[in-house]
Amino acid sequence: MSAEEVLDETGRKKNRYHFDRHTPEYRSQFESITEDMHARCPVAWSDTYGGHWVAAGNHEVFELARSAEYLSNDHDVNHERRGYQGITIPTPEGLQFQGGFLEMDPPEQRQYRQLLNPYLSPAAVSRWIPLVDEVARACLDEKIETGRIDFVDDLANVVPAVLTLAMMGIPLQNWAIYCEPVHAAVYTPPDSPDMPQVRERQVEMFQDMLAQLAKIREAPRPGLIDALGAAVINGRTPPDMELIGVMALIIGGGFDTTTALTAHALEWLAEHPDQRDRLHRERDTLLDPATEEFLRFFTPAPGDGRTISADCEIAGTRFKEGERLWLSWAMANRDPAVFPDPNQVDLARTGNRHHSFGLGIHRCIGSNVARMVFKRMLIAVLDRMPGYRCDAGGAVHYETIGIIQGMRHLPATFTPGARIGPGLAETIETMQRLCDEQRLAEPVTVRKAQADVG
Amino acid sequence: MKVRVDPERCQGHTLCSMIAPKVFELDDIDGHSSPVSEDVPADQEANVAEAVRSCPEQAISIS
Repeated sequence: MSAEEVLDETGRKKNRYHFDRHTPEYRSQFESITEDMHARCPVAWSDTYGGHWVAAGNHEVFELARSAEYLSNDHDVNHERRGYQGITIPTPEGLQFQGGFLEMDPPEQRQYRQLLNPYLSPAAVSRWIPLVDEVARACLDEKIETGRIDFVDDLANVVPAVLTLAMMGIPLQNWAIYCEPVHAAVYTPPDSPDMPQVRERQVEMFQDMLAQLAKIREAPRPGLIDALGAAVINGRTPPDMELIGVMALIIGGGFDTTTALTAHALEWLAEHPDQRDRLHRERDTLLDPATEEFLRFFTPAPGDGRTISADCEIAGTRFKEGERLWLSWAMANRDPAVFPDPNQVDLARTGNRHHSFGLGIHRCIGSNVARMVFKRMLIAVLDRMPGYRCDAGGAVHYETIGIIQGMRHLPATFTPGARIGPGLAETIETMQRLCDEQRLAEPVTVRKAQADVG
Repeated sequence: MKVRVDPERCQGHTLCSMIAPKVFELDDIDGHSSPVSEDVPADQEANVAEAVRSCPEQAISIS
């Protein structure tokens, strides 16, 4: 590098910040780190993980996330293109895996989304409400007589998993094969002694995914896998591993994030019983804005990585091709320039243009599912356990928030009540029958009616 | 008041139709928004202004 180039590098990277979101300190000091970055360096260069940019300011994240012509999500696992490393910083060790269309660029990325949109649009998702209500009802009925529940294990882990499998076309009784490894893979640190066992269960899950794909190709049954199994992307049938990556993306996106949102919201509401009563009372007007506010405040998926695909200047920073960038949805969501009192939860907040589902062409394809499932679970709890109390010291949060801001446990007590229907196993059997009989997992272009649960 | 949704910018976040369901309709297939009519009824102007403020993609404009 010439002296001139060194000077230019120093100038480009004049805003520096030691940013390590995988440490427990990032979780414990999230608000002060965020305030510091907003005040000093809304875009900063960090030397961590081989060096990467971090965007924390709302305006900066907005401008960057929507500059698709200069950003790539590509995870080039077979080194066929430019070797870009996808959306995870740092790149995970071991076998490289493309994370579905979230780690692709257009046109392939767009074609996958167009294929799956008719299963995930607001109209498509609302058809599932009666089934979701039944599964949530059964989860609460399992515990209602005891006066004790773990909102993570007994509710928020179960309902999103069962619905996601239903939408995919995977037998619902398999939900336990999928549920635990998906969450454990996120919350288990790579060096943990538990990791080999987590990996083993992940392998079981991937084997089931491959088996489901093969079965559905052979004897089609409706759902997202059916669409993927017949997909032609950019004029070719994608290799099975690419489709497994898409299925893993749907499962990963559908499970842990909604669980995280629900657990955090239930914990917060227990800590603010006056606000819980207000939400219960005014749900007709308050449930929508409160959901958006919980999404903003707790940002289940705190950010995404990108690779700069061409030299460019965006939001006042000059980037070079090949550099890595972390877009922090979580920090953008606390920017006082857009959100007055950003560290306060205001259930009736207006102008809440949070970035919790991401922005631009890669915006979360499952956002309508997430919102619906979250709202139905929350309402079910408020209706049946309105005065629940979370055990002091019983909540277990993920130790780090580098991937998902999640919770492992949220034990609570409540005034016991009477069961109003069958338990979970029987309900799942019934729901499976309805999925088959009513072909609930068809795209909205084929089936428009809501699920009829009788 | 006239309202427009830029179809290139809209990504289907759906906040506009939550705030002003009488003004914005969502496509059944991809959830992207479009105004029911370019002209905003007088009693919906405040909601539309709030939808403009809330759009994550800043895809809605009024004139």
